[in-house]
Amino acid sequence: MLKYLGKRIGRSVLTLVIILTIVFCLLRLMPIEGYFPNFEKMTPQQIQVGLQEMGLTDPLPVQIARFFKDLLKGDLGTSRIYRANVPVTEVLSDKVPVSIKLGVLSMIVSLCAGLPMGALMARYKFRFFDKLGTLFIVCIQAIPAAVYYLYIQLYGTQILNVGLLFDIKNPKYWVLPVLSMSLNNIAFYGMWLRRYMVDESNKDYVKLAKAKGVSEGGVMFRHIFRNAFVPLAQYIPTAFLNTVIGSIYIESLYSIPGMGGLLVTVIKKHDNTMVQGIVLLYACVGVLGLLLGDLLMVLLDPRISLGKKEGDR
Amino acid sequence: MMKQFSYRHEKEAELMGSMEAASKNACAMSEEELFSFAEFNAADVERTGYSNYSYWGSTFRAFLKNKAAVALLVLLGLLLLFTFIQPYLPGQYDPNIIVNDANGMQYRNVPPGDMFILGTNSIGQDLWARIWAGTRTSLFIGLSVAVAEALIGITVGVIWGYVRKADFILTEVYNIIDNIPNTIILILVSYILKPGVKTLIFAMCLTGWIQMARFIRNQILIIRDRDYNVASRCLGTPTWRIMVRNLLPYLVSVIMLRMALTIPAAIGNEVFITYIGLGLPVDIPSLGNLINEGRALITSPALRYQLVYPTIILSFVTISFYIIGNAFSDAADPKNHV
Amino acid sequence: MKKKKMMAFMLCVAMVASAALTGCGGKSGSTGTQAAGESSGAGSQKEASGAADSSDPVVYKRLYSSESSTLNYLVTSTIEEQRVGANCIDTLVEYDSDGQLKEGLATEWSYDEAALTWTFKLRDAKWVDNTGAEVADVTAQDFVDALKYELTPEYESANVQNLFGVIANAQEYYNGQVYNGGADDDGTVWPAMDFAEVGVKAVDDHTLTYTLAKEVPYFISSLVYVVYMPAYGPQLEELGKEFGTAADKMYYNGAFYLAEFSPQERQVYKKNPSNYDAAAVYIDEIQRIYNAEADTLGPEMIKRGEVDWAEISADLLDDWLSSEDTKNLVSRERPSTSYSYFYCFNFDPQFGDEYEPDNWRKAVNNENFRKALFAGLDKTKEVAVMEPNAPDDYILSTVTPFDFAYNEDGKDYTTVGAMAAMGNTFDEAKAVEYKEAAMAELSAEGVTFPVKVLMPYNPSVVDWDKECQVVEQQMEALLGSDFIDIIIEAGPTDNFLTEIRRSGKYAFMKCGWGADYADPETWTDPFYQSKGESGYDPGYKYGFMANAITEGTASAAAVQEYFDKVDAAKAITVDTNARFEAFADAEAVLIDHAFVIPFSITVSPYIATKLNEFDAQYAPFGVSRMRFKGQKVLDHYVSMEEYEGFKEN
Repeated sequence: MLKYLGKRIGRSVLTLVIILTIVFCLLRLMPIEGYFPNFEKMTPQQIQVGLQEMGLTDPLPVQIARFFKDLLKGDLGTSRIYRANVPVTEVLSDKVPVSIKLGVLSMIVSLCAGLPMGALMARYKFRFFDKLGTLFIVCIQAIPAAVYYLYIQLYGTQILNVGLLFDIKNPKYWVLPVLSMSLNNIAFYGMWLRRYMVDESNKDYVKLAKAKGVSEGGVMFRHIFRNAFVPLAQYIPTAFLNTVIGSIYIESLYSIPGMGGLLVTVIKKHDNTMVQGIVLLYACVGVLGLLLGDLLMVLLDPRISLGKKEGDR
Repeated sequence: MMKQFSYRHEKEAELMGSMEAASKNACAMSEEELFSFAEFNAADVERTGYSNYSYWGSTFRAFLKNKAAVALLVLLGLLLLFTFIQPYLPGQYDPNIIVNDANGMQYRNVPPGDMFILGTNSIGQDLWARIWAGTRTSLFIGLSVAVAEALIGITVGVIWGYVRKADFILTEVYNIIDNIPNTIILILVSYILKPGVKTLIFAMCLTGWIQMARFIRNQILIIRDRDYNVASRCLGTPTWRIMVRNLLPYLVSVIMLRMALTIPAAIGNEVFITYIGLGLPVDIPSLGNLINEGRALITSPALRYQLVYPTIILSFVTISFYIIGNAFSDAADPKNHV
Repeated sequence: MKKKKMMAFMLCVAMVASAALTGCGGKSGSTGTQAAGESSGAGSQKEASGAADSSDPVVYKRLYSSESSTLNYLVTSTIEEQRVGANCIDTLVEYDSDGQLKEGLATEWSYDEAALTWTFKLRDAKWVDNTGAEVADVTAQDFVDALKYELTPEYESANVQNLFGVIANAQEYYNGQVYNGGADDDGTVWPAMDFAEVGVKAVDDHTLTYTLAKEVPYFISSLVYVVYMPAYGPQLEELGKEFGTAADKMYYNGAFYLAEFSPQERQVYKKNPSNYDAAAVYIDEIQRIYNAEADTLGPEMIKRGEVDWAEISADLLDDWLSSEDTKNLVSRERPSTSYSYFYCFNFDPQFGDEYEPDNWRKAVNNENFRKALFAGLDKTKEVAVMEPNAPDDYILSTVTPFDFAYNEDGKDYTTVGAMAAMGNTFDEAKAVEYKEAAMAELSAEGVTFPVKVLMPYNPSVVDWDKECQVVEQQMEALLGSDFIDIIIEAGPTDNFLTEIRRSGKYAFMKCGWGADYADPETWTDPFYQSKGESGYDPGYKYGFMANAITEGTASAAAVQEYFDKVDAAKAITVDTNARFEAFADAEAVLIDHAFVIPFSITVSPYIATKLNEFDAQYAPFGVSRMRFKGQKVLDHYVSMEEYEGFKEN
């Protein structure tokens, strides 16, 4: 197990290095405006001096080596445009916690709502509740998030009698953003759990349990649910990551100081060092998410051993 | 946005599951069931190997049984047809023409009525015409992405499955692409290239094919060495015939499902890209553009029609493809033909 | 076994939860609790007290959607980022609400006979930090240090160009550091220079002198710009590039200090009680809250009374005016006369072959062709996209906006000399005449019709896309699609001007220019190109008109005439009336030959506001208009009648 884990982490690191190198090279192809907040009004001399100072006139391999060296020291460079001369790590450390907090809350809500929904849908398969749930899932998929989030905000704030904008200190203000963010995941978890539970309910051990006289509900929740949850658990970390990235709508609507829209902002502003830092962060979380997902599965289901899983995700 | 990609896996998982179950059942049959003497039957002796089973025929028969899906398919077909004939109907406005009144000023924000079926937008363009032109653009993007993904995915998937040397490289490529959130790639590409229909299609195809390829590869690995395929090969059946006759029916349901779900996903992504400001220019109406323009007016109930109508069309297209895709993939699964 | 599984599950939950908690812990540790605590205190105070009692803090709250990337007013050239400097840093002189110059940090000033050396006497003032605590005195040396900071190439100040040719030896000192005795591309050698030779001196703590490179008639008015703002010297020295990256990385001496700066979250300004003019500051706290959807949410928040300012887009306007609840909430922004829009013809087309640049080059050098477009542009219709009710109020017939500058007889610059004859440019009959003439002449030159007219727009500029669509349809209908084919293209949202206008990737485009100082010369800057040894300098890269001269085209003589007239006007420094008239004549040449189509001033948007904007400092340039000093927050949103009343006064 440890050996596998070591190998697995090693491979993840390798993947990260490749991704970062690709992104790094790609960003070097971007126009040099991305390094100067006042490019339009600068003289060619100023630009030359600036480029040299940042080491951008060095050959590419030298730059890459330096980048990774700095990275090991925890230095992601300084933002040039988004917030001129502020270290990238400092910018991110202000924003990441808010997003994580929001993401975790929304994950808890979506698990708490999505899992019972999926279980009930499976329990009453093809009956009214199942159809209702399916309708919900289809609607969430069909109506653009950009539209229904806005409606939730406009009417939700009136119903709850709160302001339109987010107030981090007032718990009442957390309700709508978290709820909006959860809707998609509720549908996601509900759908998958139903799927897995329906598959599981045709298995022999279920038939055995039923034959032994275990009650319908008991079978559902003690046997089927547990086994069906295992494959779902693998997706939770990735779903969490997607929630954080997908929070761009929510964060811009409610003025939440998270990092949902940060990547889009810095890309549009040509802030190359920031783009690099954020891609690094997302790639790390992505790789970590897959790793955690696998670990979670092993922890939840002792039948799965990591050694066997190699090369088969 | 990302979530829609994940929905696609659901049906695949189901298919894989049932395939495994089928093979297990075969093993689970008792010895007696597997090996017992057949009784003599004169009729059987006379019977030839002919069966009137036709894969596609059965598929369509199974599909037609699903009334809701058929109804939606008809509606969707009509909608598609209408987007094309709408410009040729009498009394239609050009989607980009600004309509002026007698004084030469624009008809701004005219509510739906006699003159404009769905009203006009803030510079006097006919919303009805724009919605249909937008639907045309969005569906074109969706269909192109679906077709391109399918073509690239199947080709690469077949190579991946058949050429053992390619397996390692492609698996690593898959690991890398799979690790980067799709949204990031979408944003980066739309940013680097000029905004336009081609850019959007390219950006969306860039990563989508790998999932399809991986699925095809897995199926090929599972199926290609099955006994009946080995037997076929021994009998000298050409590879292409094995592919088309023995492999394709297994894959077609999933390929169709993926394609059906890619279309609404691509339309949804277009809305997202437009929202973050990297979408199509305004003189190419698309559902994303229309919804984005409409969003700004949401606080004004009298103008909300500019948001509601494009949203209805978008939702209808999405739901239709979702339901039709699922119904078709059920119907295309040979196991459901018995 | 079951227990173990349960344990494992709990473990996961705990893991995730702890990750979240540590994340949150990090937040409160890093952002500085004192700033957050302060703002919350003020917020609750406001809620508790209401607005009735005059002793309560007056809070002004609004949304914003474009974030500053730096607070460093010494290096930035964007309006958004100069807001901090405008409100938190005092300048030597100020403007009052009628646009009259008055004293600021300087109580008196004088200049020598040649008007080259200006001496300012400074009043006592204090620097405060982001908590409002006094940290040091403002001295003349702070102005010197700030200028030195700007003239240090390493700090990449975008404003150095404003100093070159104005402050003695500024350019020489700057280039000396860049080339350090080497030669630039033109072969000029720039030896290193001591800063003591640059024309700025602190005679004593309260006496500051500027020495100019030449006589600059508008020097005093340019002092209200960020370039001449002071900064606390020792802090500049200590922080270097980090100066102005956060609220605690700079000091303030203005009407407000910045108490909190949390990017993409909020900016909180508080009244600076140490300021000499604190009695004239009526707002105690300004809260600017970031929201990327400010345009969508702002109006709704006005309806709910949650903010004090929001822009009401032209789309929403009709709806708002027709509803009883909202119709008295709308007024307008005070019209701006410092910014002018005009259509430029590009004489140096660099766009792709698919748009036929050579064809355009021939066409644009034909005066009748330009005049056809000139007379064929229906400005009323285009402005109506932004301002449906009174578009004609915003249309210009000259590049220089009206009310910009007055000569010594009090005559508006736009009515002086040859400019007086300028009228509306739109004339359908003439446009068709010019078109016929142009077609005849150009066909002879082998120009293919329709001429492709590439007209890019920036998709991030509100309504520009719509304007382009209106123009395309209007002009093609009038002039015929056999004559021109206008092609609208979305440019990049960022660096639009660099990518499109400065690199010549357009044929015909709406451009804008804002006055830098109170003199008509500022309106020649976009068009005038000086001649150096290696040919014409591209200048600010607007229409590249000098290309007509270098290529010796039919329009060369007219361009030369314009350049000569500008040169002549610039030489007149003492007699204001003569100077104005000379510039007016030059501008008339520019317009008569249709090198440019004057278009409009900035359409003052419809807003809902609780401020009387006519209380604010006013000047058509510099940072005066951004200042909140002197403005009062009313207890209601200003209605249209009230606005008209304020305007009258």
